[in-house]
Amino acid sequence: MTSTSPLYSLHERIWHWLQAVGMICLILTGMAIHYPDRFGIFGSMANAVRWHSWIGFALIFNGFLGIFYHATAEKYHHFLPRMDDFTGAAVRQARFYFYGIFKGEKHPFETDPRRKLNPLQKITYLLLLNILLPFQIVTGILIWGADRWPVTFSRVGGLWVLAPAHTLGSYLFLAFLIGHIYLSTTGPTPTSLLRAMITGYHVEEGKMQ
Amino acid sequence: MPRLVEGLCPNQATRSQLILLSMFLVLLCAVGLGQNSGVAASTANTAREKTLRLAHPQIVLKDEAGQNVLTSGKPISTRQTCGGDCHDYEYISNSFHFQQGKNEMDRALLTSHGAPSFNTSPGMFGKFSIIPNRQLTASDVKDPSDADMSQPEWLTKCGGCHTGGGISEYDLRGHRFLSPDAKPVGLLDPSYTIRERETGQVIPWDWQKSGIAEADCFLCHIPKASRGERKKEMGAGNFRWANNATLSDTGIVTRKENGTFTYNRDAFNKDGTIRAEVLNISDPVLENCAQCHGFTARNTTTIQPIQHADIMRGTEKSGWIYNGAKISDTVSPNIVGKDNMDFPWDAHAAAGLVCIDCHFSPNNPGRMIQEDPKKNLRYKPAEQDLAVYLRRPDHNFARGNIPPETVNLTQHDTMRACGDCHEAEKVHDFLPYKSTHFRSLACQTCHIPAVHFWAYRSDDWGFVMDTGGSRITYRGIEGSIVDPESEIKGYLPAYIPTVDKKNNQQIRPTNLITGVYWFDKSKGRPVFTWQVQNAFFAGKAAEGEFPYRPEILKAFADKDGIIDLPQAVYDTPEKIALVKDLLKKHAGVGDPELRIELVPWAMTHGIAGKKQAIRDCVACHGKNSILARPVDLNTSLPTGVPIVYRGKNLNVVNFETKEPSFDNRVLLNSFYIVGYSRAPWVEWLGWLSVAGAVLFGVAHGALRLLGGRS
Repeated sequence: MTSTSPLYSLHERIWHWLQAVGMICLILTGMAIHYPDRFGIFGSMANAVRWHSWIGFALIFNGFLGIFYHATAEKYHHFLPRMDDFTGAAVRQARFYFYGIFKGEKHPFETDPRRKLNPLQKITYLLLLNILLPFQIVTGILIWGADRWPVTFSRVGGLWVLAPAHTLGSYLFLAFLIGHIYLSTTGPTPTSLLRAMITGYHVEEGKMQ
Repeated sequence: MPRLVEGLCPNQATRSQLILLSMFLVLLCAVGLGQNSGVAASTANTAREKTLRLAHPQIVLKDEAGQNVLTSGKPISTRQTCGGDCHDYEYISNSFHFQQGKNEMDRALLTSHGAPSFNTSPGMFGKFSIIPNRQLTASDVKDPSDADMSQPEWLTKCGGCHTGGGISEYDLRGHRFLSPDAKPVGLLDPSYTIRERETGQVIPWDWQKSGIAEADCFLCHIPKASRGERKKEMGAGNFRWANNATLSDTGIVTRKENGTFTYNRDAFNKDGTIRAEVLNISDPVLENCAQCHGFTARNTTTIQPIQHADIMRGTEKSGWIYNGAKISDTVSPNIVGKDNMDFPWDAHAAAGLVCIDCHFSPNNPGRMIQEDPKKNLRYKPAEQDLAVYLRRPDHNFARGNIPPETVNLTQHDTMRACGDCHEAEKVHDFLPYKSTHFRSLACQTCHIPAVHFWAYRSDDWGFVMDTGGSRITYRGIEGSIVDPESEIKGYLPAYIPTVDKKNNQQIRPTNLITGVYWFDKSKGRPVFTWQVQNAFFAGKAAEGEFPYRPEILKAFADKDGIIDLPQAVYDTPEKIALVKDLLKKHAGVGDPELRIELVPWAMTHGIAGKKQAIRDCVACHGKNSILARPVDLNTSLPTGVPIVYRGKNLNVVNFETKEPSFDNRVLLNSFYIVGYSRAPWVEWLGWLSVAGAVLFGVAHGALRLLGGRS
């Protein structure tokens, strides 16, 4: 018998899954571009390039929708770490992941509609959304613009700079995705966090029987 | 109208002829329109040929005194026949086809184009050529050991193709041979001497006996011109009759045993003019250009590039066949796999284009490049004075840029290039990043996916064979190049970055020719063939074979005392050192150095249509990108010697492969080829982070399970 409480709004869930699908598609099409002879699932490299560009722009658009939503619904504070989140709270969360979780301890921070992310999540998203994502967007747009703004493209070093940079960012996103999916199993039950992002309802750990 | 008449031959041109000339231009316009229709083009071409015969006024063949040769019996003077009142002979012959660099002997010009300092001109008349390993002797030569090919010898060797005028009329100081001012300066003056083959001594050349070869207009403007007969006379030093020899197949002249020619009365009209249908003056047709530049034909199923002519540079250097016939229809020679080649040798030839459609006279008002590509598809005379053009047609024909070729370098990139007729951006919809692709790749890169003929692979002057010549190998053929039964398998291009018209680095397909030769560091120039022969041979045998020196035999021959091909290699440093010593001792070479030079010859003909062109992205972007594929080189390359690529020491040969191969990775470093290029640290860091995430998940999950927390 478990007790659940609402956690994610419909907007948040749709936005999240669109981001997830978009990211996975970008990684797959990116793989098809980076390894065209070993990952030809899109028929041709040219198709992969086109899909990659379209999905990239769709994801950017979705990103702006997310910013708009979080700003207007005043939910951006979920992503804003406090000073304590970088120090004591982060240590407690890390201790939980590296020790407490194996001992069956409770999560150090309760998740509720006012506090959806733990301190390490906040720090991760801070880096992801403010550094890695813009970095990928900028390098991606510059690569996309090679034909449109060749002078700018060349000034920033052309493909010899942009392509490896964008590729490195992609690897880091892939690593994040893997970690994100794995850590989604660390809720009260292995699937509870996943279900929460589908149904919107969160299993309250303290009320589990 | 008066102006036109004045510009043309005043005593011959008529209004009707001008009208016919206009008709001819309009018909050429139809040729352009017919590009997409072989039938239309063929019809237009046939019509054009008929019109051409009518277009040119009837002429008198004159001798050097301006007399009709029919009465004087003397050699034809093109200066008098074609020049005089009609065409500006001096203007025409002051162009590359007649000068071959003679009018470009400018040190500053050479330096500005990065040509090696030992060349005296950027053209064939002055530059060192790796294929014969020879060079025209500089006019200021002082040391006999610096004398290689004098002007008369150059003409006997190369004058078959190089069309007289300029190089065979004027000495290196600009004096016309046989004129009062034409006198040698010193005993080594290369304009008045020749190195005697038997003795090796530099001796005087008798210009009175040889005569002068004036510009051979017939070679290019008479469809039945015979380069072979011309070559015989030039080779024999019978320069003054060379232009007559070119007419051997027309029925106008007959050669006599004493080397002179008689004129056949039947070829002339009663008034002494030559019968128009016999001389048949026309714009150069494919066959004219083919005589020297490579196999070219409108549509033929039999290709005999070597058998019918002894030199076909374009075909030899990069294997191109400009022919509209389908490869599958080829009867001879033996093209392996031709049954699957249901496409023409060259898409442009199949569309009816002829050489001068792209390599036109730059001041021809009907052929100048138009800004609107669509206009380039039509032969449409502009509003310029045709008479001016016909009097002074610029014979510096529009040309491309075939790195590393330096000949006619002031005219590079003047021809009608792909983009002048084709709007690539409007098609190629399958291709992402069109501009980037078109900026980085020459059109030929995708449109010459393979060469279905043979071409030069290497020319090795490092070790001279007992014929006195180099060892030449070919790629794309199993067997001899002169045997029609040899299997022609073709070959794949090497892709080389080169600088294009807009100063962009462009990757283009090439045939890599590897040269091995000796270089004299003390003189800063290559060692000439006669010097290498002196080092290797102890004289010359009567049969034409050269006997090797005992030291050479001892070091290279096997037990039977004969040096066969497998033994003619430098497989130890000692063998290189031995030949160095012999070059110093017997050839006066101060500081010899054996060198390897890789010369990429750009492919420009043999264009494939869109169905055969490369469309598969993986071909270039995959791990095994064709752009970086190894290209087989001369299997007998010496190791441990400098490798020269475009004038620089650059290690582009990989000796680690089964046979020495071209390593293109160094040159491709300026390109990031998505899918192929890698920044190793990015890959390492990237995959490390991914692997770290996976390992974290697996290890963490396992510990959770072990800890009993699901």
